[in-house]
Amino acid sequence: MAKFLIFNTVSMKKLIITCTVFLGMTILASAQEKGSVLIQNATVITITQGDLENTDVLIQDGVIKQIGEDLDAPRGVTVIDAAGKYVMPGIIDAHSHLNGFDINEAMNPVTAEVSMEESVDPTRVSIYRALAGGVTSIHLMHGSANVIGGQGETLKLHYGTTVEGMRFKGAPRTIKFALGENPTRVHGSGRGIQPRSRMGVEQVIRETFDAAQDYKRNREAYLEAKARYDKRKKGTPPVPVAQNLRYDVINGIIDGEILVHCHSYRADEILMLMRVFNDYGVKNYTFQHANEAFKVAPELAKNGAHTSIFADWWAYKFEVYYSTAYNATILNEQGVVNSINSDSGELIRHLNHEAAKVVHYGGTSENDALKMITLNPAIQLGIDDRVGSIEVGKDGDVAIWSAHPLSIYAIAEATFVDGVQYFNRANDTDDMRISIDPEADFTNAANFETILEGREHDACMKGAFILTETAAHSHN
Amino acid sequence: MKSLYSFWVGLCLCVFYSTIVYAQPPAHALKNITIHHADGRISESATIVWRNGIIEEVGTNVTIPFDAYTIDGGDSLHIYPGFIDGMTVWGSPDLPKNPQRPRDPGNPGYERGGIQPDREPSEVLKSDSKEFAAAMKAGFTTAALVPKGYMLPGQVELFMLSEKETVKGVYAELGLAGSFTRAARGAYPSTIMGVMARFRQLMYDAKALHEHMGYYEQNPNMPVPQSDEVLEDLFPLIEKEAPLFFLANTREDIEKMLILKDEFSYDVVVVSGKEAYTMAAELKARDIPVLASIELPDTPKFYAASKKKQAAKKKEDTPDSDEGDAEDDDSGKEEQSEEEKAYQEKQLKAWKEQVHNIKTLKEAGVRVGYASVDMKIKDLGKHVKTLMEEVGFTEADLIPFMTTDVAAILGVENKMGNLEKGKIASFTVFDKPFTEKKAKALHSISNGQIFDF
Repeated sequence: MAKFLIFNTVSMKKLIITCTVFLGMTILASAQEKGSVLIQNATVITITQGDLENTDVLIQDGVIKQIGEDLDAPRGVTVIDAAGKYVMPGIIDAHSHLNGFDINEAMNPVTAEVSMEESVDPTRVSIYRALAGGVTSIHLMHGSANVIGGQGETLKLHYGTTVEGMRFKGAPRTIKFALGENPTRVHGSGRGIQPRSRMGVEQVIRETFDAAQDYKRNREAYLEAKARYDKRKKGTPPVPVAQNLRYDVINGIIDGEILVHCHSYRADEILMLMRVFNDYGVKNYTFQHANEAFKVAPELAKNGAHTSIFADWWAYKFEVYYSTAYNATILNEQGVVNSINSDSGELIRHLNHEAAKVVHYGGTSENDALKMITLNPAIQLGIDDRVGSIEVGKDGDVAIWSAHPLSIYAIAEATFVDGVQYFNRANDTDDMRISIDPEADFTNAANFETILEGREHDACMKGAFILTETAAHSHN
Repeated sequence: MKSLYSFWVGLCLCVFYSTIVYAQPPAHALKNITIHHADGRISESATIVWRNGIIEEVGTNVTIPFDAYTIDGGDSLHIYPGFIDGMTVWGSPDLPKNPQRPRDPGNPGYERGGIQPDREPSEVLKSDSKEFAAAMKAGFTTAALVPKGYMLPGQVELFMLSEKETVKGVYAELGLAGSFTRAARGAYPSTIMGVMARFRQLMYDAKALHEHMGYYEQNPNMPVPQSDEVLEDLFPLIEKEAPLFFLANTREDIEKMLILKDEFSYDVVVVSGKEAYTMAAELKARDIPVLASIELPDTPKFYAASKKKQAAKKKEDTPDSDEGDAEDDDSGKEEQSEEEKAYQEKQLKAWKEQVHNIKTLKEAGVRVGYASVDMKIKDLGKHVKTLMEEVGFTEADLIPFMTTDVAAILGVENKMGNLEKGKIASFTVFDKPFTEKKAKALHSISNGQIFDF
């Protein structure tokens, strides 16, 4: 135990009591609590300004106030000695379905109108497990059943709070697109409607964008005519054009207010979407999975497109047969902002290992590899002004690691979100659930949310096969 | 609500008219009875007189009219105001078992998509359903009914219960029902977020049609609006004329319900609200009432066992002996792990929180009334018992919760809820106080009509 974090002035027993009280407080924490903490004598991996040895980080009221040597602790601020340990920005997972009630509204090829912000379960113990892996933010995504799926929600892992308390305030809105086999399988093969092919996928996008632009013109014309009529009370009133939630979202994409994250594998479909987006003026988007992105890395870089990929996972279905463990390195070398994501409640607990693979296979620099789980996903989610690196003025979202995070032996020992400690390995009790079904007795409740063995196949396809159940569990 | 008002005015006029023109129909009277009032008062050796479905006199100092058909209770009968079910699906036709798969699941049409605000219980109800007789035997005389359904299952209407035959057409429209229930398999919306989006789009469409119809009335030269019964049934929400009775249990669902309410600013009543206690302060601040389900979670087995043991021990022991700790007795059995103990503590806490839902809401000042929702009436006694034993509810808590408080939330408190002159004669005759063991309803007087069991 002595090797773990030790508060400067308290004995071990007191420490445990303090921790218990502290943890209890955080569990009951009201929405968006901000905390203060001074972490001393650590090796600070800033991501943007190199690694700083023997350095202190002061977080006050949720914001990083100072980084330097021998900082004084302001009154009332908890001090943690992290000598011999590493402090890293909280890991950000750009592709997660960690705590969604529903993942796929799979009943239509276009469901831009639905939003994962209305599918957030703030009570899942999986949130705590992600914190235990040094993760502080996730991009909770809609699944990949539809060509244009639902909007995503960027969350801070404030475990023990409400839906509102988990929101990453100020984060831009996002939306999921999906190309290739998933939407053609669900809608084309499953239901006999468009899209049945990759050509159809493109057509669905173009038709939807065109319809959204038509709607916008009609709606604006109506609103103008209405304003005129209401003012003068003369002439003939306009026929009302109802607000359209789906097309409002599509127009938000065209206007750059909503960032697209597109499920994709093959190089040809990646190029297709870039062509379509260039036609409609859509910028600042990210290809998710993108196993063949390395083939079109220069084109991606030229269009300013980002990628968010697995480190070394492929061949789980036909369209993913062609890939390489050098994908991340090639993209990085070609100037594409790339992140490594989990898409899994299990993998999210050790994304540092996934980043390490990029160093292992392609020889990417350690800092660039760590960028792929911190700053780069932050860029892709439009939150890099707030998180993703340890800099004065950024949010106090950090984790303390027992060793260099790229070491296979490194474990997260403490995780802070907005300066509030949500994970403390020294006080990691057995059962961290905050929501209990009173009707489940101990024996039944013991197997709660089992961590899946290995990878969760097709996490993106949850709920997509209600109609075609025979195909539901085939993963090709 | 307007139609409700005109209904009552009409009813009153009818009664008034008939009393002048025709000979009065005979009155009924029950004398030498114990009356349990909604406000907790108990009048013994009392009398109640009603005529034409309306209470004429009630109390201990009552002159029984000469024409009254009188029954002497012999001071052994207990009279309770008829319980009012704030929301239930009694008599509703069942949902289709295997609804057809729509050709285009994303555009399944209103009905297949669970959007049926045009359904009226008075039209679809199986009014001879056994559920009504069972409810009357449990003390209910009135119920707000809604058909079983999905996100917008239909209208909410108030019914006077009547055994066997039709629940007579004594009903009034109260509002619309809503929930986050997904459409039946294979149609949009299949998720809660989909229901949210679909609801919003319906409201946008209804608003546009509403505006178009308004314009058209003034400007018959403009294109004719296309009538749409479903959208038109949402107009009361746009005009804020009727509340949306929204079924929501978890904190997250209640929050989402409030998001929609804020977007469209209609009135809302929480229905069921099993975890509404988590939102008590906000519900109070916004003055949003709850028609609460009392379908409580099952008592944790270990807790039920330890209580049983305690009770047995109490019986055994002399009154002055140490009550002891029931858990001490477990020492002989296999050792309970720390983990299990910790879990059980959590489980018990979660259970107690839910069991205390109604009390917590009331203490926070939220208006709470009773609703069966989809609870089987035979389970009523079990849950009432839990409320009494665990939460300490007494008759004085339960009666207003099931009568006047419901009436107030439904907006019919001027007509029913308690037993006083001028109110509808709906009450139940029990052989002993209804919370006592083996209490049985002997008669139900619903809207003045007598039913014997």
